[in-house]
Amino acid sequence: MVAVESPAADAAPTPGTPRRTVLRGAGTVALLAGLAGLAGVGCARAPEGPDELEAPLAAARADVATAAAAVAAFSDLADRLTPLADARRAHAEALAAEIRRARPERAPAVDAAPAAPAAPPASAAAAVTALRGSLAAARDGAGALALTTEPHRCGLLISVAAACAGYVTVLA
Amino acid sequence: MTPPSLDDDLQDAVLAALGTEHAAIWCYGLVSAYLPTVSAADLAATAQAHRERRDAVVALLARRGVTAPPAAAAYRPPSPVTDATSAATLAIVAEDDVAAAWRAVAERTSADEDAELRHLALDAVTAATTTSVVWRRVAGRSPLVPAFPGAGAGA
Repeated sequence: MVAVESPAADAAPTPGTPRRTVLRGAGTVALLAGLAGLAGVGCARAPEGPDELEAPLAAARADVATAAAAVAAFSDLADRLTPLADARRAHAEALAAEIRRARPERAPAVDAAPAAPAAPPASAAAAVTALRGSLAAARDGAGALALTTEPHRCGLLISVAAACAGYVTVLA
Repeated sequence: MTPPSLDDDLQDAVLAALGTEHAAIWCYGLVSAYLPTVSAADLAATAQAHRERRDAVVALLARRGVTAPPAAAAYRPPSPVTDATSAATLAIVAEDDVAAAWRAVAERTSADEDAELRHLALDAVTAATTTSVVWRRVAGRSPLVPAFPGAGAGA
């Protein structure tokens, strides 16, 4: 990190500690929020119907499938699209893990829903354009959900939205 | 009517985020001379976005009765800035610090009571991520986008 030049460090975070300290604190908050969330299942959140994270999960899985189909059809897209597919796969895993934790009864739906294989794109340019569009939608969807969800989910959704925004920039 | 004060944990996170905005503004002043391939207008816009968020945080804190600490006189980059690569590397560090600090803010916010902070956090992490794509390209880093911006190294 960028540290404050001493001796002004007294009032400001001490070099080397703030981010780690902050993140440790964040873990504690997430844990507490998670416990509160578990205790609140059935009253705070509707116990029926899909979890709110199932939509961003489906979007992430669809992007993985779309990127895989594009790379299969146009191998010179691999350098641009493989990191994107890796990131969206990681998003899907994190979102699925959070759904399983908070809503165990949704685990079968989460586990049994592989993304449909994507149709091969007509051209490399069409593939990139399509992915840019779906990533922009995923950015907006995760961002909107981040503003209304519980605190411990907010951080994850903000990271997902930001990563999608980053890949929209990469594919521009 | 004065808005309720922030709880201590959230206020500490907001002050830490403000510190990263101060540091980022300082860093852009340092690195601009070493980044000839990046347009001056883009650099100015990036630094301006950090200033605007800094000002928004200072104003938000003031409404809650908190006097924001000023920027430090100087900051210590983790490695010397001597060329375009090291300048871009410092910009990446600054933007990653911003993203991590704001994600930590977000995780302490309630959707109902801290809507402005959540909006700021979403904007901050998003802008840090899209901006640092440019710096990661200059520095030759891969991937150009972290999978979980703001979640820390290895995430």
